[in-house]
Amino acid sequence: MRSVPTTGTPFSRRRLLSAAVAVGLGAALTACASSGPTEAPAPQVAAMETGPVELTIFWWGGDARAQLTHQVLALYTQKHPNVTFKETWQANAGYIDKLNTNLAANSAADIFQLDDNMLGGVAARNQTLDLSNYVAAKRIDITKLSSSLVDYGKVGGKQAAVPLAENTPGMVFNKTLLTSLGVEQPQIGWTWEHLISWAKDVSAKTNYKTYGTMDPSADYKALWVWLRQQGMDFYNGNKLGFSEADLTRWFQLWKDARDQKAAPPADIIHVANAGDVTKQLVVTGQAATSFMWSNQMPELAKSTKDTLGVVSYPGDPKGQWARAALYFAGNAKTTHPAVVVDVMNFFINDPDAGKILGTERGLPANTDIRTSVQNSLTDPNMKATVDFENQIAPKFGPAPNVPPNGQSSVRTLLITEAEKVQFGQLSPAAAAKEFMEQAALKLTA
Amino acid sequence: MTAVLPRPVAAPSRAGGPARSRSVGGTVLRTVLVLGLLALVLYPLAWLLAASLKPNDEVASNLSLLPHAPTLDNYVRGWTGMQTISFARFYVNSTVIALGVVVANCVSCLVTAYAFARLRFPLRGMWFAVMIATLLLPHHVLIVPQFVLFKFLGWIDTPLPLIVPKAVATEAFFVFLMVQFMRSIPRELDQAAKVDGCSPFGIFWYVVMPLARPAVVTTAIFSFIWTWNDFFSQLIYLNSPDHYTVPIGLRLFVGGEGQTELGPMFAMSMLSLVPVFLFFLAFQRLLVEGINTEGLKG
Amino acid sequence: MVATDTPATDLRDRRSTRIPAKRRGSGVNTRREMVAGYAFLSPWLIGFMVITAIPMLYSFYLSFTNWDLISNAGQYVGFRNYVRMFTQDPAFWNSVRTTVTYAVVATPLKLAVALGVAMLLSRPRRGVGTARALFYLPSLLGGSVALALVWQALFSRAGAINAFLAWFGITGKPWVNDPQYVMGTIVLLGVWQFGAPMVIFLAGLKQIPRELYEAASVDGAGSWRQFRHITLPSLSPVIFFNLVLETIHSFQIFTSAYVIGGGQGGPVDATKVYTLYLYLTGFGESRIGYASALAWVFLLAVGLLTVVFFRTGRFWVHYSDGDER
Repeated sequence: MRSVPTTGTPFSRRRLLSAAVAVGLGAALTACASSGPTEAPAPQVAAMETGPVELTIFWWGGDARAQLTHQVLALYTQKHPNVTFKETWQANAGYIDKLNTNLAANSAADIFQLDDNMLGGVAARNQTLDLSNYVAAKRIDITKLSSSLVDYGKVGGKQAAVPLAENTPGMVFNKTLLTSLGVEQPQIGWTWEHLISWAKDVSAKTNYKTYGTMDPSADYKALWVWLRQQGMDFYNGNKLGFSEADLTRWFQLWKDARDQKAAPPADIIHVANAGDVTKQLVVTGQAATSFMWSNQMPELAKSTKDTLGVVSYPGDPKGQWARAALYFAGNAKTTHPAVVVDVMNFFINDPDAGKILGTERGLPANTDIRTSVQNSLTDPNMKATVDFENQIAPKFGPAPNVPPNGQSSVRTLLITEAEKVQFGQLSPAAAAKEFMEQAALKLTA
Repeated sequence: MTAVLPRPVAAPSRAGGPARSRSVGGTVLRTVLVLGLLALVLYPLAWLLAASLKPNDEVASNLSLLPHAPTLDNYVRGWTGMQTISFARFYVNSTVIALGVVVANCVSCLVTAYAFARLRFPLRGMWFAVMIATLLLPHHVLIVPQFVLFKFLGWIDTPLPLIVPKAVATEAFFVFLMVQFMRSIPRELDQAAKVDGCSPFGIFWYVVMPLARPAVVTTAIFSFIWTWNDFFSQLIYLNSPDHYTVPIGLRLFVGGEGQTELGPMFAMSMLSLVPVFLFFLAFQRLLVEGINTEGLKG
Repeated sequence: MVATDTPATDLRDRRSTRIPAKRRGSGVNTRREMVAGYAFLSPWLIGFMVITAIPMLYSFYLSFTNWDLISNAGQYVGFRNYVRMFTQDPAFWNSVRTTVTYAVVATPLKLAVALGVAMLLSRPRRGVGTARALFYLPSLLGGSVALALVWQALFSRAGAINAFLAWFGITGKPWVNDPQYVMGTIVLLGVWQFGAPMVIFLAGLKQIPRELYEAASVDGAGSWRQFRHITLPSLSPVIFFNLVLETIHSFQIFTSAYVIGGGQGGPVDATKVYTLYLYLTGFGESRIGYASALAWVFLLAVGLLTVVFFRTGRFWVHYSDGDER
């Protein structure tokens, strides 16, 4: 049973004890290691194991993903017969609860999937295997990955996880509708103001049945892009990277949009704020655009008969970046770190694995694999998405820091405060003030 | 207590007497009322059924009752669509666990309730208060330490953490329910049995247990249903997808960024109603038939 | 207390002739009952100790720390969590307000409907069994995602409820997405599941001997008086049970608020009921220490309420086993 938190300073006896164990383990492994760098605060690179190993692996996703992942794992076992896997997977709902419970009870899987909302928290608690040395020793080959993508897996200077796939913010729009209305389709590089005036036009043309644009003021990723376009960032280390005045401007921008009926009223926006793909306004027909991640477009297309398109968020594309759609992280307490690392490497770099996984998790991180997968795509929506990502890639700005511990609270706080403005309960300035105060609390835990 | 039941409020007296001529009107009124209420109450379920017949891309966009293009596709896809596991597996797992819980609950809550309701022993009041208190603590805070306990026992990924606690009467709700029922059983019966030489156990076996049948039936019904619908605990304790139960399975259809299969989810929700409904139908007969209380009189 | 205490009965029980008249409370009989009591209680006692008590105590301890599910620095912080809750946490008060409003509105409504329909269905006529089963259907699906989604669809701006209201010329609001009305839809969802207490009422109604009613109407009592003087008192243990438990359950409301509010207690925290707030704090933000404090405050508050129920219950609950407690 995990021991109960002790009193006193952070450098409690428990922490010393676990550090001692890690060092001891590292030392023992190094004794058998044939290669590997010496001396690092992070775990030493362990030798690849040849005895029988069973790894547990945990991810979220649907049935399709489970199938593909299983195939890749089977392929790995084919090539490394001493390694077998125990697979656990489930829906996104409750995933982090289960993972946290398992981590608390020291029964979490050896490898688990994370996204950038979860990574900061889990890594801050030192629950992920530090991969820095393994990367340095080329046990995980990152030469074919864009460096900003890899950097996006670093927390506190250490490589806490490796990206499995890439995506980027993508504004999805309803092509069919826009064509039927005879208006132009959104382009890369439109300003936010232009989007809003265009949207106003669209709303009027549909007689306010369908509004021009979704109001993303509650959406942290839209705010994030907007901030980056102005040279700021959402986070600056463990604090927010923007000011109350900036946030007020953001809320005001969208209040004006709603007042001009470019965006729908609050109750319609609210449904989409929760993030559920089937509830996004672009598929329910209540707005002509929705602010998503680029690789969600094919998913959205399943919920509507109309054809969808995807483009970058308004503003300078340098605000966008190569985001790791998903990561694999190792369990800091795994007893088979070398195998864990090798499996991760396999997922990212093996061409056969890449072919199997395709674009199900997003754009393959490895650029070679990406090219070959691209050429064999058949789904037009997937093709359009990949084309868009390739188009925008040269324009990306540098990778931001991975959101720190407390990010998920901040994210929901933004939704609450933005909705207060949307429902007219607070003015933009008052909501921004509340947000800054509460966010500070949540980030310092 | 026979099967004839007390008169409801609104109706005039029915027991062969003066008001008989008004009873027809009263019956009609009552029938209309019941039918009206039924329609109101069942509408959302009708909507759910209709939604399960809508093609997937219509489910989110068409909010009216009737499908534009009804199809059974959702049922097919929901049942067989998961290539890694079939929904039938979830059904079986859910049934096993639910039945296990029913038995565990009925037995353990019955004996515990008997102790509280009929026997006198030191600290009884205190233990009763403690038991009620266990109802009050939100289970989300207990789950982490309980998980650790079950991990220590090696029970993770088995149905044991879901069934065994019920075998030790941790469902205070049912204990309390049975206590209340038992307290409506007149003590004279106990006395009579005691006079005949029954031990407390004998009284339990011959007197109280048979008469507490409505409470036991109610417990069985609710146990089954709550267990059938319980998402969180089952999620936390079950790891392998082929151990998953229906609630977890249903959520697999509504992944946040995963497959969006609302249609099959609605279809499977409808299907998951079936065993529960059948269970309920079977057991409620026991409620309907009432209790033969010839032994109570005289 | 009844017959046991009279000497006549005691004499028939040979074993008790050894009991001196003035010490009736002790002796073999009583000891036997004590032993039996603990014997019957033992499964619960063991279960309680192992499965509930220890986690409960552990969570009590945690409420004095700032543990975040895995300790790097799970420090003892004394009463800070409790102080913060009451003085620095508007979300706490919001969740209290939301939950109490829900409990106060939904519980009486649900019980009244349950009792009313139970009485409507308590006469054995054709179709009553079916009607009973059908009324119970909502409770079967109660906690499901599917149903909450249906509710969202029905009560949304373009949903069936508004379509129905439109027949009467009323423009409906976007009920389920408007912070002012969304709890109302959740109350309705709760009341809609009246089938559960209804079944319990039905079982209770069955236990009332018909002879009582017959005797009363022979005496000329009308249906209202029969209701007041026979049905209600006879049902009072069951009413009490339903009242206490429905109240406790309504304070613990989680799933419907969780799903209808989109998992975050929205819009604008209007559905962030207490247990949801606790869950989001403990699992969403991994602040298990604070969540434990929230849990214990909940336990104390609802526990107090339950004590009040039990104390006042003495005045109106009528047990036929003569054991008024």
